[in-house]
Amino acid sequence: MVNRQINLKNAVFAAFILALCLSVPGFTDSYMLRVFNIAWITCLCVLSNYVLLGMCGQNSFAQAGLWGVGAYITANVVMKLGLPPLVALILAGLGSGFLAFVLGFAFFRLRAYYFTFASVGLMTILNGLFMNWTPYTGGALGISNVPSFSLGSLVVKTEKANYYLIFVVCVIAYLLIKKLYNSALGRSFMAIRDNEMAANCLGINSLLTKSIAFGITGILCGVAGALYAFLSGYLSYQTFTYQQSTMYLIMLMLGGTSAPSGAVIGTMIISLLQEWVRPLQNYMQLFYGLGIVLLMIVQPEGILGGGRALYEKWLSRRKPASTVAQ
Amino acid sequence: MNLQLLVSGIAMGFIYAMVSMGMVLIFRAVNIVNFAQGEFLMFGGYFCYMFNRQLHLPIVPSLILAALAMGVVGVIFMFTSYWPLRNAQIRAIVVSAMGASIVFKEGARLIWGSIPVTVDRVVKGTTLIANTAVVQWQNIAIIGISFALIFFVYLLLERTFIGNIMQATAQDRYMASLVGIPVVLSIALTFALSAFITGVGGGLLAPLFFLNNTMGYTTNAKAFAAVVIGGFGSVPGAVIGGLLVGLIEAFGGAYISTTYQLVIIYVVLVFFLMFRPQGIFGTRIQEKA
Repeated sequence: MVNRQINLKNAVFAAFILALCLSVPGFTDSYMLRVFNIAWITCLCVLSNYVLLGMCGQNSFAQAGLWGVGAYITANVVMKLGLPPLVALILAGLGSGFLAFVLGFAFFRLRAYYFTFASVGLMTILNGLFMNWTPYTGGALGISNVPSFSLGSLVVKTEKANYYLIFVVCVIAYLLIKKLYNSALGRSFMAIRDNEMAANCLGINSLLTKSIAFGITGILCGVAGALYAFLSGYLSYQTFTYQQSTMYLIMLMLGGTSAPSGAVIGTMIISLLQEWVRPLQNYMQLFYGLGIVLLMIVQPEGILGGGRALYEKWLSRRKPASTVAQ
Repeated sequence: MNLQLLVSGIAMGFIYAMVSMGMVLIFRAVNIVNFAQGEFLMFGGYFCYMFNRQLHLPIVPSLILAALAMGVVGVIFMFTSYWPLRNAQIRAIVVSAMGASIVFKEGARLIWGSIPVTVDRVVKGTTLIANTAVVQWQNIAIIGISFALIFFVYLLLERTFIGNIMQATAQDRYMASLVGIPVVLSIALTFALSAFITGVGGGLLAPLFFLNNTMGYTTNAKAFAAVVIGGFGSVPGAVIGGLLVGLIEAFGGAYISTTYQLVIIYVVLVFFLMFRPQGIFGTRIQEKA
């Protein structure tokens, strides 16, 4: 009975959030809509970071590089090979995911900090390639005029149409990650996060499992890259930087690493915060940095962790005997 | 040509050695990789600029003053970005250091502007070595000063009482507090020393490459590579790693490609991680269950 009530509450809440998100194009101008579009694309990358860091406990700084791989694959497949955008989207996800999966086997021979360093290395190498490998990445000039996403005769050209496309992809990714969380694979991710040696003793092949997690990260980032290429139409190596990767980590830590909703909350807060503090102009970045340090000091578990602690406190105060009654 | 490259490579290597040594000192003391170490170099350089060009002091006193100021900055950094988080997860501390590095970068831009600046050379002019190589005196000065400083810090750590206190805190903080070591002070001193030695590097580097507020990232990236190549947590390893990175950069830039410099360093790093993850000086630590 109690469970059903909670489920109903959750469903109403989810429907409310969904309606709110879907109505965003109704009350924003096209500039803010572009901000939201970029935020949802970033959200995909942060969700991928959630799978790797929040579930599997491996900290990587290569996400922005994989994002770039997806974007450049899309541009090349659509413009050079002339394949339909949907195929490019899928190829971008698969290509980026495959790259991450294969490199995972090499990189995950290293533990904890060393893997993080290797991922910084991968990020730097990829960024160097984006900047210098002119035939495929356009070099310092970048690639311009990437066509918009289209399916048959349906062309997703306006900001609004792009919003729905990106949002739907985000929701699908979110639901899949929720599914993953409760699957055997997700459980083995978390076993590795909590204690890798114990996980190995339970018969989990930690090298393979961690590589799969990195591969999933690659797929999500690749799809995000494809969406970015369709949305902006212009790719430059300056977008896909190490700084962008650190941003993903900051967003995830700010939201909280305990659930995928933490990734969404963190992304939205930071993306919108950057717009809100824009009137401060010169001091904007300074306050941004100070805010990150302060938030980590006040709430190292992220907003989700803090909110959960508050909620539990409230519950226990409201119904002190609830556990006894059940 | 080769001799010239060798000298400038070693000089840059010593700069990286100072950054990575600062990083290793902090890593040993609190088990955290400091993501704001490159910003210490940038800030030290800007302090040197302030004393040298804005207050018109000679270069040597301004280097010393800049280094002392950096020591204070290191302590402030420790009390604001590390100490409140000492019991949190490591990644929370990493994120807070990243936030601090943004603050450093923007602070430098707001105080000193975004136009690249420079400071005086310690020794002016060039000299001829072996009749073929034209070498800047500044490079030789960098090598001399940094070698002396690194040696001094090494002696301080290995031979003095303060060094023993810092090493004891690094090995086991709880045990150190039990035998009466003031752990806060010891850690603060480590941060100060780390910022001190990195800050001098900034002042020495400034005449060769202009200072700007975004130089911290590339320096940090190279210092990471140096630390890992040398062996994580080893002070001599950090120095050797820094020298190697400097040489790879100089010769790779001359013979392969200047645009791929950072890429070459990281390819070497990845190979090191694959085949000798413990680095040159590191020992393989058995993982505890």
